[in-house]
Amino acid sequence: MMLRSSRAASTLEAEAAPGDDARPDASRSPSSRTRTRRAKAGSTAHGSEGAGTIPRRRIPLRGRLRRDWPLLLLVLPALLQLAFFFYLPSAFSVIAFMDYSPYRPFWENPIIGFTYFQMLFQDPYFVGALINTLQFAGAQLLFVFPFSIMLALVVHGIMSTVLRSTFQSIVYLPYFFSWVLVVTIFLQVLGQDGLLSRWLVGIGAERLQIMNDPDTFMILAWMQWTWKDAGWGMIIFLAALAAINPSLYEAAAADGANRWQRLWHITLPGIRPVIVLLLILQLGGILTVGFEQYQLQRQAVGWGTAEVLDTFVYYRTILASNGESIGTAAGLFKGVIGLLLILAANNVAHRLGEQGVYQRS
Amino acid sequence: MTAQIQLFGAKKRARVRPVWDEEPSIPTKILKGLFLAVYAGAILVPIWAVVATSLASEEALTRAGGDLVLLPSDISLQAYREILSGGAVTASLLFTMLLTAIGTAVSLVLTVGAAYGLSRPGTLWHSKILTAVLVTLLFAPGMYPSYLVVQKLGLLNNMWALILPVCFSAWNLIVLRTFFMTSIPGDLIDAAKIDGAGEFTILFRIVLAMSKAILAVIGLFYAVGYWNTYFLGVLYTPGMDVKPIQVLIQQWLLASSGPTGQDAAAAAAISSGMENAPAASLKMAAVVCTIIPIVIMYPFIQRHFTKAVITGAVKG
Repeated sequence: MMLRSSRAASTLEAEAAPGDDARPDASRSPSSRTRTRRAKAGSTAHGSEGAGTIPRRRIPLRGRLRRDWPLLLLVLPALLQLAFFFYLPSAFSVIAFMDYSPYRPFWENPIIGFTYFQMLFQDPYFVGALINTLQFAGAQLLFVFPFSIMLALVVHGIMSTVLRSTFQSIVYLPYFFSWVLVVTIFLQVLGQDGLLSRWLVGIGAERLQIMNDPDTFMILAWMQWTWKDAGWGMIIFLAALAAINPSLYEAAAADGANRWQRLWHITLPGIRPVIVLLLILQLGGILTVGFEQYQLQRQAVGWGTAEVLDTFVYYRTILASNGESIGTAAGLFKGVIGLLLILAANNVAHRLGEQGVYQRS
Repeated sequence: MTAQIQLFGAKKRARVRPVWDEEPSIPTKILKGLFLAVYAGAILVPIWAVVATSLASEEALTRAGGDLVLLPSDISLQAYREILSGGAVTASLLFTMLLTAIGTAVSLVLTVGAAYGLSRPGTLWHSKILTAVLVTLLFAPGMYPSYLVVQKLGLLNNMWALILPVCFSAWNLIVLRTFFMTSIPGDLIDAAKIDGAGEFTILFRIVLAMSKAILAVIGLFYAVGYWNTYFLGVLYTPGMDVKPIQVLIQQWLLASSGPTGQDAAAAAAISSGMENAPAASLKMAAVVCTIIPIVIMYPFIQRHFTKAVITGAVKG
């Protein structure tokens, strides 16, 4: 128990163990950090606290409160924020099971069970939005994600430091633009009266219709994702590439591996954990493709094309009447599926021997 | 729940092509160069076109025969003078600046407090609180329940509706908490305690003084978020007279240019009283005013963000 674990061992894994680790030293003890370390060393033993350990005398609550109140006070504002804007709305999700009307007191709304979920799946608008969402998410996964990897590989190969950092500065910039700006800029260039259209008219061709053609909206959306986010997406891969031990390449080259063989056998396995991690995160967010990009272009390409789950909920509940319960049901469906997907993807990653997003405690 | 990727070995090495690496062939080089140039051009040229148009005078636009120019034949600042001389755009820019300043301050107070308060495993209720915070990363409450809370709190059409629901991010908490726990020597805090310093003294005099760089980055990320407020503006404050700048740009530039020409009245109201500059220049000047703060903040963020992004793991 007196082992001093290194500070580096302070992963979340250790801390997620039961919190009653306080040792019976006096509250004014100068060595509260040491106590903390011991607590960590003790709790890494994965719940084996029960039988084998020395029974501990706990400091009474009042003593711990007197010792820790400044820390609790500091966390309090954030906890209040979460209570009001995470836990309270999460609790209000019960509206999905009610025949809810905003004009009645909340408790007088009758609970009717899963009726609205059944209605949801018979609703062609919801099903359409769900299919669109999955298509957009799938396209992001298939086309933007590999593009970031390819970009990182090319950029990693640039030898000149000046050229590389200049290029990086340019391609990261649009990530910080809002979707309003991105769509505006696209409209200026690719719109009917945009820069390219004018040039096309000048040489006797047709105007571009891509900004308001529902059939090519997927291509437009892909261009916008790439323009805005692909550069940013490469950061993490660049870091992973830089972390690959160069002597591996040297050894492979000495054994006669050519450029492509080195890419296949060293580079890609080297960044595999990062790829898996990002895939998990992307899978977890597969029903969350964003709101702004689609809402902004909904009018131009027609709502049926750009409708995703978030816009469906917005137009069905906030802008229409009587949609509260069905909109909440759609939101809850999205939240629960997202939760399950993250847990499942992480589980799969653990089975594949990757680290995943979080460690099991 | 934090990403457990260890990439901190990623150092900036002096880049010299190693001896074993053969020089790429000429076509490969040209192809790569072309790819990078086209990609960088696709980002820069549209931004440049926006800037150039905002600076173009009426004659320059007429001569170019359209709404967007790449090389204006003469430069005029008239569009900026018009939009910044106290109309709807000025009010909106000022409001969004205020929103960004207050929001960033609130966010930093909450994030620093939570990160420091949770940086000491073994303190009272530590793991319970930490779990309660991290759970928020796994689930997102729906849009209507959140709207209902904001409505019941009486915040609709109030600036605080754009701040309070989003002012705390568990991802930023993880980044900052990890920094507090790994980069601030525990012995230093022990020593301060022996000297009789309380938690608040330690936080303000030692911990925050040692975390200026990371606080700047987190603050800037929050600030960019507030500056880019659009969705919350549409959702919670549709009835406010002064709108966040992104909402204003949407109403002025996007909604009115749709096939149905909807919201033309709203767009006309925004540009009323601006008759001395071409409409295209005015609109592009507003876009440039929205970009400028981002471009100013950008170098500060860029210096540190790789590290911040990796520590906090990759935000979806």
